[in-house]
Amino acid sequence: MKLSELVTAKRINLDLKSTTKDGVLEELVKLLRLSKPAREALLKTLRSREELGSTGVGKGIAIPHCRSLVVSEVTVAVGRSKKGISFKSMDKKCAFLFFLIVAPPVGDPADYLIALGKVAQAARLMSADKRIKSVKGPKKFIGLIEELER
Amino acid sequence: MNPQLQVLIALQDILLMIREAKDPTQTKALGKMGFKMTNVESLENTRENLENQLSPAILREYSRVTKRHGRIVAPVIRGTCHACFVRIPSAIDAADDRNKTLYRCENCGMYLYWVDK
Repeated sequence: MKLSELVTAKRINLDLKSTTKDGVLEELVKLLRLSKPAREALLKTLRSREELGSTGVGKGIAIPHCRSLVVSEVTVAVGRSKKGISFKSMDKKCAFLFFLIVAPPVGDPADYLIALGKVAQAARLMSADKRIKSVKGPKKFIGLIEELER
Repeated sequence: MNPQLQVLIALQDILLMIREAKDPTQTKALGKMGFKMTNVESLENTRENLENQLSPAILREYSRVTKRHGRIVAPVIRGTCHACFVRIPSAIDAADDRNKTLYRCENCGMYLYWVDK
C-alpha cells in the first residue's frame, strides 16, 4: 500500500486558507465530499483525537487520523498551507503539510496501522523535499509522491 | 440524520478511540510513528457528555448492546449489516428515511448507519 495509491486529485487542496487547527480539519474533511451530518460526526471524532494528543508529528507535517463509521474504506485527503499553522507539534514548529486519514471501524486494526505507517513514512520523505512547497496542481503533487515513493 | 443516531455514531467512534488508546500494542505502534496518545481522560469526558445526550430508552439499549458486542452501530454497506453480515430487508434498505429513522438490524440488534457512497 502506497500513499500515491490512496490519494486522488479531488482530495488534494494545495492552498489551504485556514489559519487555525480546527479550520484546517474542516477544510480537509470537506475534501472527502461526505454528507453534512457525516462531516459533522467526523469532525467531532477528529477533534477528540486531537484532544487525546496532537497529530502534528514535527518537521512541518500533521497527520490527523481516526477510525470512523462515516467511511467504508481507508480514505486520505491532503492539504498544504503556504504560511503554516500551529498544530501543537512535538517540535513546536508550524505544520504546512496535512494528511487526513480516516479508516472504517470494521476490518483488521493492523491494516489501519499499516496504512498509517506508510503515510507517515511517505510524509517524512516529502517534508525533506523542497519541491513539495512549490509544486503546482494536484496531479503534479501526486506525481511527486509517486517519484518519492519509488 | 436522526440526532440520536448522530450521537451514537460519535459515541462509537470515541469508544473505539478509547479502546485503542488503552491498548499497549496500538499505543506502542502509534508512538513509534510519532503520535501522542496521552490524554485519555478527555475522551472519557467526551464519552460521558455524549451518553448524557441519549434518551433513557436508547441509553439502556446502548449500555446493554455495547456490554455484549463492544459497539452499538453497524455500518450498512451494499445492503449488508457489517456487524453480522446479514442482508438488510430490501424494503428498509431502499427506504427514503434511512439514517433519518433509527433502524436496527433484525439479526444482531445493532443500530444501522448507511454509509455515504
